[in-house]
Amino acid sequence: MFITKRHIPRRTFLKSAGCTLALPLVDAMLPASTALAAAEAASPKPRFVGIFFPHGMAPGYWEPGAEGRLPAKLPFIMESLEKVKDQTVIMTGLWSKSAEPPEGTTGSDHWVAAAYLTGIKPRKTAGSDATVGSPTIDQLIAQKIGQETLLPSLQLACEDPNSSSSNCGEGYSCSYTNSISWIELPTPPNEPYVHTSPLPMELNPQNVFERLFGSGATPDERRARMQQNRSILDSIREQLASLNKELGAADRRTIGQYTEEIREIERRIQLAAKATADVPDVPLPTGIPESFDDHIKLHYDLTALAFRADITRVATLLGARDLTARSYVLPKNDLFPNGGVTTSFHGGSHHQEDPVQIRKYADINRYHVSTMAYFAEKLKSIPDGDGTLLDHSLILYGTNMGNSNQHQHYDVPHILVGGANGKLEGNRHLAYERKTVTSGNLLLSVLDMFGVHRESQGDSTDRLAKL
Amino acid sequence: MMKRLLSTGCVAILPFLSAVVLGQQTRPAPAQPARGAVAPSTPQPANAQPSAEAQRALLDRYCVGCHSQRAKAAGQEAARKLTLDDLDPAHVGEHAEKWELVVRKLRAGMMPPANSRRPDKATYDGFITWLENELDRGAAAVYAPPPGLHRLNRTEYANAIRDILDLEIDPSAYLPSDDSTHGFDNIAGALGISSTLVEAYVSAAGKISRLAIGRPATPGLVVYRTPEDTSQDYHIEGLPFGTRGGMLVKHVFPSDGEYTVTVTPIFGDNMSPTGFGSIPCEKLEILLDGERLQVLDWIGSRRLGAPQANCQGDSASTPQRGRGAAPGGRGAAPGGRAAGPQGGGQQGPEAFFGGRGGTPMRARFKTTAGAHWLGATFPATNFAPVLDLDRHFMRDTVQTGPTPGFTFFPHVGTLRIEGPFNAAPAKESSSRARIFVCRPPTTDEAACARKISTTLATRAFRRPPSGADVQGLMEFYQSGRKEGGDFEHGIEMVLARVLADPRFIYRIETEPASARVNQPYRISDLDLASRLSFFLWSSVPDDELITVASQGKLKDPAVLERQVRRMLKDARTQALTANFAGQWLNLRGLQSVGPLPLVYPDFDDPLRQAMRSEVELLFDSIVREDRGVLDLLTADYTFVNERLAKHYGIPNIYGSQFRRVTLPPDMDARRGLLGKGAFLVTTSKPERTSPVTRGKWIMTNILGVSPPDPPPDVPVLPPRSADAAGNTKEPTMRQKMLDHRVRQDCVQCHALMDPIGFALENFDGIGTWRTADGDTPVDATGQVFDGTKIDGPVALRTWLGSYSTQFVQVVTEKLLVYALGRGVEPQDMPLVRSIARDAIRNQARFSALVTGIVSSKPFQMNMKVADPVPSQSGDGASRDRTKGAK
Repeated sequence: MFITKRHIPRRTFLKSAGCTLALPLVDAMLPASTALAAAEAASPKPRFVGIFFPHGMAPGYWEPGAEGRLPAKLPFIMESLEKVKDQTVIMTGLWSKSAEPPEGTTGSDHWVAAAYLTGIKPRKTAGSDATVGSPTIDQLIAQKIGQETLLPSLQLACEDPNSSSSNCGEGYSCSYTNSISWIELPTPPNEPYVHTSPLPMELNPQNVFERLFGSGATPDERRARMQQNRSILDSIREQLASLNKELGAADRRTIGQYTEEIREIERRIQLAAKATADVPDVPLPTGIPESFDDHIKLHYDLTALAFRADITRVATLLGARDLTARSYVLPKNDLFPNGGVTTSFHGGSHHQEDPVQIRKYADINRYHVSTMAYFAEKLKSIPDGDGTLLDHSLILYGTNMGNSNQHQHYDVPHILVGGANGKLEGNRHLAYERKTVTSGNLLLSVLDMFGVHRESQGDSTDRLAKL
Repeated sequence: MMKRLLSTGCVAILPFLSAVVLGQQTRPAPAQPARGAVAPSTPQPANAQPSAEAQRALLDRYCVGCHSQRAKAAGQEAARKLTLDDLDPAHVGEHAEKWELVVRKLRAGMMPPANSRRPDKATYDGFITWLENELDRGAAAVYAPPPGLHRLNRTEYANAIRDILDLEIDPSAYLPSDDSTHGFDNIAGALGISSTLVEAYVSAAGKISRLAIGRPATPGLVVYRTPEDTSQDYHIEGLPFGTRGGMLVKHVFPSDGEYTVTVTPIFGDNMSPTGFGSIPCEKLEILLDGERLQVLDWIGSRRLGAPQANCQGDSASTPQRGRGAAPGGRGAAPGGRAAGPQGGGQQGPEAFFGGRGGTPMRARFKTTAGAHWLGATFPATNFAPVLDLDRHFMRDTVQTGPTPGFTFFPHVGTLRIEGPFNAAPAKESSSRARIFVCRPPTTDEAACARKISTTLATRAFRRPPSGADVQGLMEFYQSGRKEGGDFEHGIEMVLARVLADPRFIYRIETEPASARVNQPYRISDLDLASRLSFFLWSSVPDDELITVASQGKLKDPAVLERQVRRMLKDARTQALTANFAGQWLNLRGLQSVGPLPLVYPDFDDPLRQAMRSEVELLFDSIVREDRGVLDLLTADYTFVNERLAKHYGIPNIYGSQFRRVTLPPDMDARRGLLGKGAFLVTTSKPERTSPVTRGKWIMTNILGVSPPDPPPDVPVLPPRSADAAGNTKEPTMRQKMLDHRVRQDCVQCHALMDPIGFALENFDGIGTWRTADGDTPVDATGQVFDGTKIDGPVALRTWLGSYSTQFVQVVTEKLLVYALGRGVEPQDMPLVRSIARDAIRNQARFSALVTGIVSSKPFQMNMKVADPVPSQSGDGASRDRTKGAK
């Protein structure tokens, strides 16, 4: 079931002067997009979701066995994907080479979540020159398919970097752990590195909701606020030009970027200006849920909602941060009849090859995959054009380690779910030779599915065979 | 060949040399007048030459065996990191970066490794002193690279709003998280910008301006949640005595009007098995600003079919109606539960978004705009029919339902505040008082608007605005006045514009026209005022600081020092505790640790919060009482409430409030950071202690040296071997760690970290004192890397005390990173040493560190960098380039 549309008096949850839920810029923008969606429903739009969990998976519990069709009974960790099996491809043997520490050094392999969607080792720095060397593939895809929507892309996370901010890698910027979505910045001439910048991953579903749908009790109120925001933005942009004269060169670059971002928002206001008056009657989430299960499902609900309304077509989700001390409360359901609490994610990932501990660790992976299955099923339940949302979506779910006990970066699990507009044939297990096929190959092929054709992506050597 | 001969030749005269070195050592300290990069410039040049020869000999004898080019060619790890035979001690400045590495390791006593030969202590210390002097002598006169353009981080943003508008906000409700680096989240380089952020800032500006002015708002809903591992068996500070548990929140009400508060139980009240162990006839008391609003029947578990006992007494059947006239509760609409839709909790947002059901208990009340304390708690009249057979665990809640051994007082799960209904414009609130420095009927409207705009802009931009600035704001006032129809609406527009301004969001510093490329220049007094206030308060300067700076007096060292002392006494230095200590000592990380309930059933949120408060209060006492920073390691006092005292085993402490206690001799192990729950828990795994993590933390944060990260492809541990009796019982933590160290390349690093951690094995994963791990007695002995044998936490503390100089340097370094908002580079180290040295002469007092930093060159200077764009217009190629891309 999609987010229920049971009626809630809108005043209950829309906009309050202030407390925490008032009108963001986008509020008046939704109707335009829904109208847009309705008009163009005939030609289904592709959607992309990239999901990252660190720390690999428990060996022996996720691999589907022989190559070919998926086995009748899915591996333990993958079992929740049963209902979307026809649209699932599991890859074994991939090599996350970009997550390995640079030659001849130790450490640093817990600080490269940002390499997940680039296939490039991030630059070793803790300063402002942090870069992942290329836009992440979600951003490349967003450039291609996200420019007509209100939000080119959406970034979500389930863990607050602030809670463990002193815990970042030796000499590696925390931004590599905090964000898996990076955009390209203008790179000054003679710079060896392509400049990139991390996009903040939003933790608070309430803020996500407001970015998607806004608030404000009446169309008049929304219009008035949009007008206010627009005049503020206009005046700031004018001011930035004169401010530039007082600034040093380095600061001018930063402010220049600020100006660019304002243009981007203004572009969205242009889109929204064609708005009609109705906002769908969906309830507003209220802050960050205490339970992880509620939190991640809410993020998935909102993503599905945004896809349905065609507010965005690209999303990324950072399910957990590297080195997280989090343990999970298993929801009581068919997968976990007894519920219970898991070991800690990072601690458990160092299972010491002890069969009992590996089994315990597999529970965590099984649970994480099941949240993605929840999302896939949700997409499957939503009609979209000639099929369902899942038919037109591609979910890339993966990690950057294989056997995490030893921080191996080969035999790394990757899963694709969704029809990708007919570009992906499901119910397959693709096996690759160990330490041969890099994850960059997969990224390159995923880009292809969205019509983004590049020569290479990060450490790719070729397009992914057999896909 | 020559070299080798020389080195052997030198052995004999070593004792003599060390004496020479020692002799030097006694002199330089008082001889160094300078702080800042002005640095010790002329210490004993005469002795330097012979000394360099001697040091070469020392190096050859004790270091070069591993750190040689030959070893490097052979691929040895130590030499790959550093070679010393190719460095010339006579010209230390040529490879300052490498020598800094050397001196750091030596200061921390890490080299030569434990099983290698070492010179005697005097020689060792003498070498350090010599090397530091050499490095300091060779340092550049001024090292002040541009720190970068600071964006306010979330914390600074919220503090600024508080100080500009007297309005407390939760920034996470408005802005996404910030990145951090170098251990802190106020580093300019990591605070990037994106459209999400710009949008959030503009959106927040609108929301906050509406909230501050308090015009009638449309109803909204805000939910406060208790943490899942809350325990509500005891009194909560701030709620009335004689109550138990519940929740207390400070909520900013957007305008005058009526509001409802709905209370839901935690986990749908399913902690108690149906009707078994749950308590009949519990009452829930709702309070506003400490006054009782209403008393409701607690009906949380009725849903589960608990028998509805016949609860006689004063407020039994329809308490909400009977008490409609309770103070503050002149609810116009039918009060209490009846006000809500039937089964509203089932239909409400909770039902969609993971709510766990339960029937809502609701009160409706009138209040005014601004901050009020809203509480919901239980009168402590019932005694829990405790199910525990053995012992009552401190933690009450387990999400997955009833677990034997946990008790079942009802718990508040959420407070949901809705409103305003029948809203009216706010008449008075603290924010309005702060904003409306004049009022139109008594002042001319336009003149008053101008005055308010000027005041707001001065506070927000941290400088008096120009005439053009004010003119720009007045345009917003005019348009707001016209559209919204009244004066206040115009002011609201001005405020929204001010809060969205880049000069508020960025700490922009003006580059003087006369600045030359790559030349440092002194920043203006107003910019210095901002650096100062963001350092000490994480917020904007106050009126006095701006006034002093506008008059151009702040650059006067005496005035500056007076301001620093004044600021350090201000309550706003709490920001140093929350942000500097919160990150350095990882108090923020405490929030995300979750010891497993079945391993540590006594750990819960009240304990977590108490542990955090303890260290915050300790750090705060050092700042406010201007104590030496070494007290952080050794203080014989601490701060506890009943919950924490119980955890530590300190007797006779009752009540939820914190108080200072002196640790008796038998609590010696609890002295200083090493005995504090906050440190011990954040360096443990959820299910066990982690001597490695503890050891590494101490090395990094107290000794300032970081052991390398674990290599990839960590080998598999050998299978557990059976003992003589054939049992393969679970090994102790110590045994597991020792297993770790079987492989040679693991031993190297683990031999550094583990023994430090072993010394703390008497503290379990939540910091409880223990003498056995399982059924094996705790063995807290170990030999640390400089060869010292230690046993237990007290010995560890004493040992660390012998590295107090290093510790003061580490604190200085961290504080400098935090103050400058950039990483500290090897070129900064002479400054760090100089500040630390001056401070040590002053008992390492906190204020000495702060004044040292504040009066340093990097803090007072900026540097013009070359424009990377060879442009004619000066407009920036980046812009053209993106234009092209569109």
